[in-house]
Amino acid sequence: MKGSLYTLIYAAVLGTVCALLLTAVADVTAPFRQANAEAERNRNILKVLQISYPPEVSVSKLVEIFENNVEMKVLGELQFYRYPKGPGQAETVAFAFEGAGLWGPIKGFLALGPEMRTIRGITFYQQEETPGLGGEIASAKFGKQFQGRKIVDASGKVGIVIKGGGEKRAVNEVDAITGATMTCEKVEAMLNSVIEKIVQETGNNG
Amino acid sequence: MADKQPSACVPCQGKGLCGGKGLLTLKDGAWTNNPLSIQVLGICSALAVTNKLENSLVMGGALIFVCVGSNLFVSLLRKWTPHRIRMIAEVAIIATFVILFDQFLKAFYWDMSKQLGPYVGLIITNCIIMGRAEAFALQNPPVLSIVDGAANGLGYAVVLAIIGFFRELLGSGEVLGHRLLDGDWYTPNQLMILAPGAFFALGVVIAIFNIFRKPDAQEKKE
Repeated sequence: MKGSLYTLIYAAVLGTVCALLLTAVADVTAPFRQANAEAERNRNILKVLQISYPPEVSVSKLVEIFENNVEMKVLGELQFYRYPKGPGQAETVAFAFEGAGLWGPIKGFLALGPEMRTIRGITFYQQEETPGLGGEIASAKFGKQFQGRKIVDASGKVGIVIKGGGEKRAVNEVDAITGATMTCEKVEAMLNSVIEKIVQETGNNG
Repeated sequence: MADKQPSACVPCQGKGLCGGKGLLTLKDGAWTNNPLSIQVLGICSALAVTNKLENSLVMGGALIFVCVGSNLFVSLLRKWTPHRIRMIAEVAIIATFVILFDQFLKAFYWDMSKQLGPYVGLIITNCIIMGRAEAFALQNPPVLSIVDGAANGLGYAVVLAIIGFFRELLGSGEVLGHRLLDGDWYTPNQLMILAPGAFFALGVVIAIFNIFRKPDAQEKKE
């Protein structure tokens, strides 16, 4: 019994010391980590809006570039980022999208032209899909396919389609990734959920 | 589970502080019993992060840090740690050091942290560290345990750096981001960057280490 009590106390003390130490460190590094995460988000918005910036830029400079170029706007319930900043005509706008992937959450941005129908770019800044299969959604090759696609097809049907097969593509179709059917289905669903909202807010006549 | 695993090297129990054992321990961890090339432990991370030399160096540094830290504290606490929960205690200590390093990377080397992904956190499960805590730090004084941790960490780091160097060189024609093999006559071999390339590179490194290593007494007998 005495041995068990000692063991319990030892475990409790060791656990507490480790936990306190880690809490302290997490506390000290929190502002830096948050700044990094924020910068990462901004970097992705800049990327999807095709705003160029020096590659080795510091975090504070990045925030400055972001704030000089990008403005956050609201469209109905949706928030979006608009470039360039100011009263004139927008060149590109970016909408955030997110949803459940195969292994974990997927988050990214979808950039559209000013008329909000043509895709300018897409980026995934958080994903844990299978490397080499679903993970390829983050590759430049997959992302590039989206450029110039329409979010509404010729017959007025809303939404993009990610599907396999080598046939000629409709204006709202992109090629799926072989071996990543489930990831592609999930990405398609999360994109279409935001696309539907965009089309709803901007009217179906675009 | 073996309660008292024999230490991989000559233990210095009963001989006071490590007088003379330090160098032997160092050589043992880094060369004679190199965790990667001889014991083939911890190869999961060795395969995963060695597509670039820079990643390999940071990962090696992380392992040295964690192995030294955990060996030191496991050794310091060895007389007070109840035998029944010693492994849990070891894991708690190891995890603390790993998370410290992970947080440090996330705060100050974000890009590196992103590239290494989950593999920094996975150091917790790296068999080298747990193995050194069990086989060495539990039975040896703190200073010698630090030497052992550093030696094994170093052994891992050096092999990682070798693999990283060749994978980056052959796979992308670069070393630390500097182009060495010109694109005109050398076409980077993508295979070296992908996982199979890591297996080939590790296999060659193990083979070379084995050529130069003298077989130990037990192997001779067999």
